[in-house]
Amino acid sequence: MIYAVELENISKTFPGGVRANKNITLRIEQGEVHALLGENGAGKTTLMNILYGLLSKDEGRILIKGEEVDLRSPYDAIVRGVGMVHQHFKLIPTLTVTENVVLGLEPVGTVRGIDEAFSEKHLSKLLPINYHGAAEKIKQIAEENGLDVDPYAKVQDISVGLQQRVEIIKTLYRAADILILDEPTSVLTPQEVDELFVTLGKFKKAGRTIILITHKLREPMILADRITVLRDGALVGTVDRQDTSPADLAKMMVGRPVVFTVEKGPANPGPVVLSVEDLRVEDNRGLMRVDGVSLEVRAGEILGIAGVEGNGQTELVEAIAGLRKPKGGIIRVDGVDIAGKSPREVRAAGVSHIPEDRHKRGLILGFTIAENLTLGRHYEPPYATGPLHSLLDRKASAELSNKLVDDFSIRVSGIDAEATTLSGGNQQKVVVARELASRPKLVLAAQPTRGLDVGATEYIHSVLIAMRDQGTAVLLVSAELDEIRSLSDRIAVIFGGRIVALRDPEQAAPEELGLLMAGHLDGAQEEGSVQ
Amino acid sequence: MSDLDAGNQAVQEQRPPESILNRLKRYVEKVLNSVDSMMRNPAFRKQIIWTSASIVLAMLVAAIIMVLTGYNPALAYIALIRGAVVQWDRVLFYATPLIFTGLSVALAFKCGLFNIGPEGQLYMGAMAAAIIGYMVSLPIVVHPLACLTVAALAGFGYGFVPGLLKAYRGAHEVVTTMMLSYTAILFTQWLVTYPLKEPGEFQWIAQTPLLFPTAWLPHLFGSDFLHAGLIIALFAVVGVHFLINRTVLGYELRAVGLNAEAARTAGINPKWNIALSLGIAGALAGVGGGAEILGYHHRFRDAWSTGLGWDGITVAVLGHNNPWGVLLGAIFFGALRAGGNSMQVNTGVPQEMVTVIQGLIVVFVAAPRIIDWLEKRGIDYSAWIRRSPMGGIGHLATTVWAAGSAIEAMIIISFFLEKTPFAGLLVALAIIVGFYALTKLLAQNPAGPVVSLFTAVEWILIATVAALLGSSDMVYFTAPTAVIGIAVSLMTVMSSRASTQKAGGN
Repeated sequence: MIYAVELENISKTFPGGVRANKNITLRIEQGEVHALLGENGAGKTTLMNILYGLLSKDEGRILIKGEEVDLRSPYDAIVRGVGMVHQHFKLIPTLTVTENVVLGLEPVGTVRGIDEAFSEKHLSKLLPINYHGAAEKIKQIAEENGLDVDPYAKVQDISVGLQQRVEIIKTLYRAADILILDEPTSVLTPQEVDELFVTLGKFKKAGRTIILITHKLREPMILADRITVLRDGALVGTVDRQDTSPADLAKMMVGRPVVFTVEKGPANPGPVVLSVEDLRVEDNRGLMRVDGVSLEVRAGEILGIAGVEGNGQTELVEAIAGLRKPKGGIIRVDGVDIAGKSPREVRAAGVSHIPEDRHKRGLILGFTIAENLTLGRHYEPPYATGPLHSLLDRKASAELSNKLVDDFSIRVSGIDAEATTLSGGNQQKVVVARELASRPKLVLAAQPTRGLDVGATEYIHSVLIAMRDQGTAVLLVSAELDEIRSLSDRIAVIFGGRIVALRDPEQAAPEELGLLMAGHLDGAQEEGSVQ
Repeated sequence: MSDLDAGNQAVQEQRPPESILNRLKRYVEKVLNSVDSMMRNPAFRKQIIWTSASIVLAMLVAAIIMVLTGYNPALAYIALIRGAVVQWDRVLFYATPLIFTGLSVALAFKCGLFNIGPEGQLYMGAMAAAIIGYMVSLPIVVHPLACLTVAALAGFGYGFVPGLLKAYRGAHEVVTTMMLSYTAILFTQWLVTYPLKEPGEFQWIAQTPLLFPTAWLPHLFGSDFLHAGLIIALFAVVGVHFLINRTVLGYELRAVGLNAEAARTAGINPKWNIALSLGIAGALAGVGGGAEILGYHHRFRDAWSTGLGWDGITVAVLGHNNPWGVLLGAIFFGALRAGGNSMQVNTGVPQEMVTVIQGLIVVFVAAPRIIDWLEKRGIDYSAWIRRSPMGGIGHLATTVWAAGSAIEAMIIISFFLEKTPFAGLLVALAIIVGFYALTKLLAQNPAGPVVSLFTAVEWILIATVAALLGSSDMVYFTAPTAVIGIAVSLMTVMSSRASTQKAGGN
């Protein structure tokens, strides 16, 4: 049989010595849905980037539809029908959907029609671009595949789920029949995930080959025909879906049996630590994102805020952390009003913040690990000494860093290594370790396990539970419903900037929560009061 | 007393004098250890190689330019180096203000800001120092310190304003600092031409009255140029190093420079730090200006600075925004300047060549990819030559010839244009086709050698025209060019034909 893609003996070592792919041989059949499963850092994205021409391989052969290819750039892969939807979207936010989709394949003129318009000849680059025709073609592709999107909307104005659709349309616009999707569901609601699965089913029926990169165990079990597991850069095995189970897959991924449910004792809530009353927060463009939210979190309890991204959770957490000035309302921590105060003052009041984007807000990648671990408390003793606490006490910060690295089992080559050398999971561990080390009264955990593998997620969950048991109040915001349900003592559903429901995790079914998250209030049970 | 007690007592008596020596030894060990670990760090080694390679490349290109303009590069460089070594006091003298302005740019860069205004900050500081220097009478030691303090404050203010504008209004500091430079230069020019002018007879260059001698900084080592500003500059280097690496403020500046969002989330105030960093940068440049006035000029002269602020930017780039790198870079530039003087005097090569070298260094340092590309090319070529010597050497030779012939055509075109327009057109065509061949060759496009063959044929025509015009000099130039061109191009074309036939292509 002709395989859609054959990767033979692919090896790739990054400068710095990281062996991302070790002699991987993988054959993907035409028309199948093939899941590539593995923890963060296992080498799945690297392998697919090699297939897509974004990275060069050190050794091995690549055959696409039976033809051996030497990929110099994604262009070589694209003309052979390979399309990739990346985990971090390659979209330009300030341009429209149409402009993003045609980027690199701009249709010029209307004389010869869209399909043959791309030309390497230099002069045709001076001709005007036919956006209208492109938009028509995009609408057509969108309708055929059930991926409705407004071609003239700016990417920065549409939701994350829609942005992902644009990415998929990009591949279809280039007539891709081998689709690589890198962690597609990490940004979607449960409903959007279902819609995506339907779309992928349609693609499969149309004969397209789908390679799905994921670290979630549920998805391959639903979607895939065959599943390949990578671990630490090497291929552990390829199995048929019906011959395996999530437990088997997890064991292959991690190398040891994995515990799925979080061990959690009953909560012992104490006095109210965080009290939010009628909070109203606007975003950068003046739109009201938090529209009168009131909630309470007690010491020793975890309040989980379930909601699809973009419903105000980000602004809510930013307002409590002092990063955004609320338009109205009261935020009290232990009775102290912190609304509108600077982040430093909020921290001094005993609030720690695990930001949802560790690269943007959590870590300073150019700093060493030790410097990152003292970030936020660097100006206080014992990390600052000397007159007016103006000098850094390197020894104290080294002591703290070593202790935290030990306590949290962070895999580092040394505390003076740069933070960029850490894997995603370890970077998040650094952020969590740092935030929890100050023994806060309240922890704001926003998407704490986003992009992390099973092992790291397990660890962070256990840490949050431990903090809860020691009497810390935890406000957990997550788009992963499973995480919310397994960790929280109470669940609040946010939609459109308002808390639309409060539920007990034992009694709330995921379907009901999913509906509430999507804003369907009828059919759901009556919402309780906000305490 | 038992032996043990006696022994203990003896040890205790011996301890005090040893401890100072030991501490010194430990400190030296620490420094050596950190230097050792720096050397082991591959990124650091790469930076050193890249900087050295840039300097070498720049001097190579400058040598080519010297040849083309009729000078002898070997003699020129020898004069340059000799001049720098013999006049080492001048080297350090030229370097002193560059250290200050380089530190200024480097410090601002640690906070992610491009300080393009050290020239203006220099002038403001210099004017402030001059004013305190001649208007106020203070005892020795106090006077220069007061002048320099005021210079620092003036520079600080002048840097703080664009810092505030950037922090609170988002005004890009490149624009504001650069524009404010001109404002400062012209403002001080007005000051020195009208209100603060030295009273008395007419002067060609406006200047303030002479500073009180109590304000002067002493000269060092009996030199007429080198002054104590150097010592202050060295302290500034250590100070900036200390500030950046050992203080909380330095930590916050670096945090804001690397990731302002994360810094803000952690409670650091980015706006304040941005403003402060530009202020301190301005203060450094201001002190530099003040030191020059106090140490050398002893009065504020209109346009006294020969681009010291702008050169500071170059020095910071060369030093990779590291205070010690800035020190080395400033000394290097000082050496170029002092040597350049001597080069001009002894070999006639104009001093502007030094500026050319400085500019080329910046191009190469700022474009590490050129070095990477050259390295990759070098590796490619050596592999090629090993595989098929004729093809590899031929291609390399053809590329060099194409470049050389294009340059040569640019030199001789004026001669031909004078004689007949047709001949000029021919040479112009040779330039264009020569560059086209060069681009094809560099892209390893198989059409490259063919195009260069075509160019070589053109050169035969040019040589013929030169012969017809009766200019034997021109024939001496153009005929060999043509012959070499034909030879190497033919060699490359033939060998590539042979190899494709061997591989079974067509």
